[in-house]
Amino acid sequence: MTLTPTKDQTGVSARSSRSTSRKLNRAEGSSIERQRRKLLIPFVGPAFLFYTLLFVLPAAGAMWISLHRWSGAGPMKFVGLDNYFLVFRDELFLKAFGNTLLLLFVVGIAIFVIAFGLCLILRDMVGKKIARSVIFFPHLINALVFGVLAGFIFNPGGLVNTLLKPFGVTDPPKWLAQDNLFPLIMVTLICTTTGYFTTILMAGVDRIPPYYYEDCALAGATPFQRLRYVVLPLTWDVFGTCAVLWTISSIKIFEVVWVFGGSSGAGIPPTQSWTTAVYTYVTAFSAQSTPAYGAATASAIISLALISVLVVILRRAMRRDAVEF
Amino acid sequence: MGNARIFRPLALLLGSALALSATACGGPSESSAEAKATDITSSIDGQNLTYWSMWKEGEPQQKILAAAIADFEKESGASVKVQWQGRSSTEKLVPALNTNNVPDIVDGAFAKLAPVIGDTEQGLGLAATYDATVDGKKVSDLIPEKYLANAAIDGKDGQPWMLPYSFSSDGLWFNQASHPDLASAPPKTWDEFLATLDALKKAGEVPLAADGDIAGYNSTWFITLMQRYGGPGAFKELAADKSGNAWDNPQVLEAAKKVESLIKGGYIINGYDSSKWPAQQQLWATGKAALLLNGSWLPTETAPYATPGFKYSSFQFPAVDDKPASVRADFVGFAIPKKAKNAAAAQQLAVFMLKKKYQDAYGTEAKVLPIRADAATSPEMASIKAALDAAPQIHQAFDGVVFPGYLDKVFNPKNDQLFLGKISAETFVKEMKQAQSQYWKDNG
Repeated sequence: MTLTPTKDQTGVSARSSRSTSRKLNRAEGSSIERQRRKLLIPFVGPAFLFYTLLFVLPAAGAMWISLHRWSGAGPMKFVGLDNYFLVFRDELFLKAFGNTLLLLFVVGIAIFVIAFGLCLILRDMVGKKIARSVIFFPHLINALVFGVLAGFIFNPGGLVNTLLKPFGVTDPPKWLAQDNLFPLIMVTLICTTTGYFTTILMAGVDRIPPYYYEDCALAGATPFQRLRYVVLPLTWDVFGTCAVLWTISSIKIFEVVWVFGGSSGAGIPPTQSWTTAVYTYVTAFSAQSTPAYGAATASAIISLALISVLVVILRRAMRRDAVEF
Repeated sequence: MGNARIFRPLALLLGSALALSATACGGPSESSAEAKATDITSSIDGQNLTYWSMWKEGEPQQKILAAAIADFEKESGASVKVQWQGRSSTEKLVPALNTNNVPDIVDGAFAKLAPVIGDTEQGLGLAATYDATVDGKKVSDLIPEKYLANAAIDGKDGQPWMLPYSFSSDGLWFNQASHPDLASAPPKTWDEFLATLDALKKAGEVPLAADGDIAGYNSTWFITLMQRYGGPGAFKELAADKSGNAWDNPQVLEAAKKVESLIKGGYIINGYDSSKWPAQQQLWATGKAALLLNGSWLPTETAPYATPGFKYSSFQFPAVDDKPASVRADFVGFAIPKKAKNAAAAQQLAVFMLKKKYQDAYGTEAKVLPIRADAATSPEMASIKAALDAAPQIHQAFDGVVFPGYLDKVFNPKNDQLFLGKISAETFVKEMKQAQSQYWKDNG
């Protein structure tokens, strides 16, 4: 969850653009302004340098690699945009891309609907501190555990089928069949991630002064109306940040897919459950074949582009005037 | 979410990009590599070797290697800096090879080293290593000729780039304690094999176990059948056909139909298509199924949970039409990057590891198959060792196919569908023909 400061960063940029315009108004600026300018390089310089060196340059490098056919070592062959065409023609990539979108939207919507529901309940609940910790807990557990656990629970002779037997279910569904893995992964993600976002949203909900709720009670508002007219508007900025966080992390989801199929190290997950991140990894580091770095970086760049576009759209769509309270 | 998993490949990609720009693609000069290769007997006293190993600390193989390295250091005066990296060592090797800071020697399975070192021509030619002597014998004489004949470890310069020290194989495993008849009279042909399966079924047993979530296990059936029809290399030839027309060969459909007959015959254990490894091999090891097609690592893997008294034995994948049957041998061995600074010392270390003392330890302690034919093996490996000694030829896992993404993206997904009973043999062949011609259009 590296992107938490997004909100602050935009704040900073807004402030600095404001200061730029102020600077334009007053040609030379005050002594404070001059001080500020003097401090710009020592303060921003190192961060800028590291960022360029560790993120911008490699990203440019990746873009360069994506225009080549290259096995990671040895000669590179320039192929232009062929890798991109190749990736977009590849049924597996399209399927993986579709899966990524499913995670982003279907799982995302489910997470936030449940999280808001939990927020409403948790506010008035007895022992809400304990409840919050319990809800957050699954997020602390390594996805590997869920992958291994899935075997115990859903294998043909596993826990679920054993529990179903007394109820007369003799022909239970094939839980871990290749086509059923992805829905299972989606459910797992909802279970593990909801608590995380509930915790963040709760921090926003807790900020809301109690008299709004009292007002609601006096006006006879239903819980839904309370959500619609009080909670949502007053936590909108928190929700916006959460949505961006989810967008970024959902596009990078990898390990949970990997461990649901192929945790043994003897194989890779079935193609039905691939996400773009898995596609990228398999293309670059397939266990049994020559790495195709060009195609892998192309798919990574496409993911990056997807994240960027979605984050911009999301921030536009979520832009509201912050409610001061 | 997935940060670590994502970061590693990204970091590698980006790292290699940086490294590239930093070294400006500085390749080693061929002549210096040649010079290093010719004289490997010189004194290496005081040299510092770097060795990246595929083994992790605590594994039986690692213990043997570590002991051997200690002896080597004492005898040669060189010091060896080992990094026990585990199975991802080859992934780490890729970016390293783009820098001038490469390990002097690495080890790994052929299937992993070939794409990284072999095909990219980053491996040093080891002709001199094969000419060196260990225990008074030439290295090339210690490794059975047939192992090297089909091994595909020769680089473009005609020299092998890999020196194997052990290998894995496969077979149809069973418990000899409960099925002595399978040991005394194993089925030799496909028809006999089906008859065996029928007999087992009639006796109320589940004939076959299979962990259907491991694509590599599933594909062993079809690939080995292709090798039974056309000898080692037959599947590679099929996969290499750019038009895809090779899939029209009636033998290909025949092989697919044989796989299909296993599913249609109801021989495979229930739930094999919806379980997670190692669920099915656990059932097999506890006597819930009679046979399991798997690698020579199976006894080690299943020993902790096998029924007490389980006696491991195996027979070879059945032959087709009286054709000679090859035996699988996937090498694990050393390779030396061309850019290695201490190539002579690295070669001495590789040769040193082939001493009978360590080879015997491989066989008896680590229970793998040592590369030297005269090394001891464990009782669990007896059936496979006998098959290897008798085999006219050997073949590789996946028949040595390493075309980028071919197995993972083209063949395995379709073969999974065939083996998991979702498509018929005819559909499989038809779809593969089309998918393969598309693959070669994109990757040709």
